[in-house]
Amino acid sequence: MDYSILLAQAALNGLVIGAMYMLMAVGFTLVFGIMRVVNFAHGEFYMLGAFTGFFTYVHWEMPFVVCLAIAALTSGVLGMLVERTLIQPFRSDEMSGMIATLAISVIIQNGAVMLWGPVPRAMPDIVTGTLTIGPFSFSWSRLVVIAAAALIFIAFWLFMQRTRLGRAMRAVAQDTETALIQGIRVNYIYPLAFGMSVALAALAGALMGPVFSVSPFVGLTPMLKAFVVVILGGLGSVPGAVVGGLMLGMIESFTATMFGSLVSDILQLLLVILILLVRPAGLLGQREA
Amino acid sequence: MEGQVASAVGQGGSRLAARRRFLPGVAIAALLAAALALPQLTANQFYVHLANLILLNSIFAVSLGLIATVGQISLGHAAFVAAGAYISALAALSFKLPPILGIVLAGLVMGLAAVLLGKILLRLRGVYFVLVTFLAGQVFTLVVLNWESVTHGANGLIGIPAISLFGFPLSTRLRFYYFALAAFVLVVTFVWALMRSQYGRAFRSIAENIRLAESSGIDVSHYQVVAFALGSGIAGAAGAAMVHYVRFLSPDSFTFHDSVAYITMLVVGGRHSMIGGVLGALFLTPLPELLRGFVGAQHIIYGAILLAVLMFIPNGLVSVGKSLLAKVTDTEGPE
Repeated sequence: MDYSILLAQAALNGLVIGAMYMLMAVGFTLVFGIMRVVNFAHGEFYMLGAFTGFFTYVHWEMPFVVCLAIAALTSGVLGMLVERTLIQPFRSDEMSGMIATLAISVIIQNGAVMLWGPVPRAMPDIVTGTLTIGPFSFSWSRLVVIAAAALIFIAFWLFMQRTRLGRAMRAVAQDTETALIQGIRVNYIYPLAFGMSVALAALAGALMGPVFSVSPFVGLTPMLKAFVVVILGGLGSVPGAVVGGLMLGMIESFTATMFGSLVSDILQLLLVILILLVRPAGLLGQREA
Repeated sequence: MEGQVASAVGQGGSRLAARRRFLPGVAIAALLAAALALPQLTANQFYVHLANLILLNSIFAVSLGLIATVGQISLGHAAFVAAGAYISALAALSFKLPPILGIVLAGLVMGLAAVLLGKILLRLRGVYFVLVTFLAGQVFTLVVLNWESVTHGANGLIGIPAISLFGFPLSTRLRFYYFALAAFVLVVTFVWALMRSQYGRAFRSIAENIRLAESSGIDVSHYQVVAFALGSGIAGAAGAAMVHYVRFLSPDSFTFHDSVAYITMLVVGGRHSMIGGVLGALFLTPLPELLRGFVGAQHIIYGAILLAVLMFIPNGLVSVGKSLLAKVTDTEGPE
């Protein structure tokens, strides 16, 4: 019986980190699909979201939903500005665009160190207490993260499927030139998609603030995992990012419970290399033309 | 271009062409003489140390540039540097292997490792390769950090011996400077000769248009593995040389940030030319020291410079130098 409780706990933890990986990877893959840009600054927007959540919730004592909205909005607007001024000049050159995002990441991270210092801060849980079902007990704070991530993703999915703007974004991802001919203003779509992508990262950061801690360096690991997830699921594929994110969260949680986190991290990389060898375009990705 | 100038200027052109062939030789000899004499002019050990770092960083950037000549950017280059450093340091500490042999061993092992890894990873191209080398670098850092029985984990390795040539220890900054300079000249000459060989032509054709190269019968994956192995082997050997100079090694010595720094040097200097990596290292290595006044802001300025170079001089400092040189020779032309 002990064992089953351990497994249930691992499954819940897997879902929590999987939900976070999903939010990170969906945004990351969206930007790659639409703009062909590998955004190495994606993790820094997660970090900015975590700090925004921390300050609005702990210092200004706002309701957590408002904190999430502020985190998404501020990072989203910053992301649009960054895209417009610093990434758009490299539209035709994948490699330079990628190096530009590396530079942006260095600037944002060190800016955060200057502003807020390098020391990690603990953020209190949003809700307390546990949910007890038979022998299993789950903490509400974790369940809230899963529910919030699911709601955010559903909202994003509806936006992409049901609205004109979402359709326009998907059209640009499929074929930029044809989209242009159809009258879609690609110059508006790019900053918008980038802003939305990093807003998702900021939401993930704000949600995970209470689970992990908040410091200028928290963005690296989620970004690393987003890379793993998009390689698993296929660069540019949103369903791939969802499946890959949840899968990676589960794999990580179970292997870490059984063998420790180092073995878990190494297994993940081996899995990625294996998938790249067998299916270079990822599990749900499509071969590039 | 040389032909154009020659035909346009007519008779004077042949003299110009002769001068053009003659000039680089003189320039290189002058630079080398200056490099040999320079440390004798300063008593400040810090400048000598800075010069050593510039030489080592140049080698790292040039070796990364060698991989870039086949159109691939490795974001795990620092892992090869670190692995080479660990091999030589551990061999010296545990088996009393002379550091100079350790450097050779590190180069060979890392080159071989790159052949095996490259056969798998080089199937991926463009951003996929960048992502997977990034991940591989992260895993390397994790392994080194956690394999405490061998690497001593985060505590690092101390007391690593200095290089000793025929019983003459290179234990001062100045002595190491001449060793590093020799290594630098060796690497640059090797890469220069390689790029002029059949290999160099194949590399360039792959970087220019990989599909055209493939359909012209060039064995792309073979040449990519060769370039990756040579670049990684040089990086491993240079990492080993560096660890016998710094004489301390920990998982923080070479990280993802160093991989980014090598790419920055290459891009700022000019990634389509071998000299680019050297220029980038020469410009960027002393920069943090010049920016000491702005504590904390130095990394931000570093990032801003990288962005500015990408936007305004996309082909790097080399292209600025080239256009300046062209202007000089143009004005000299009609004499």
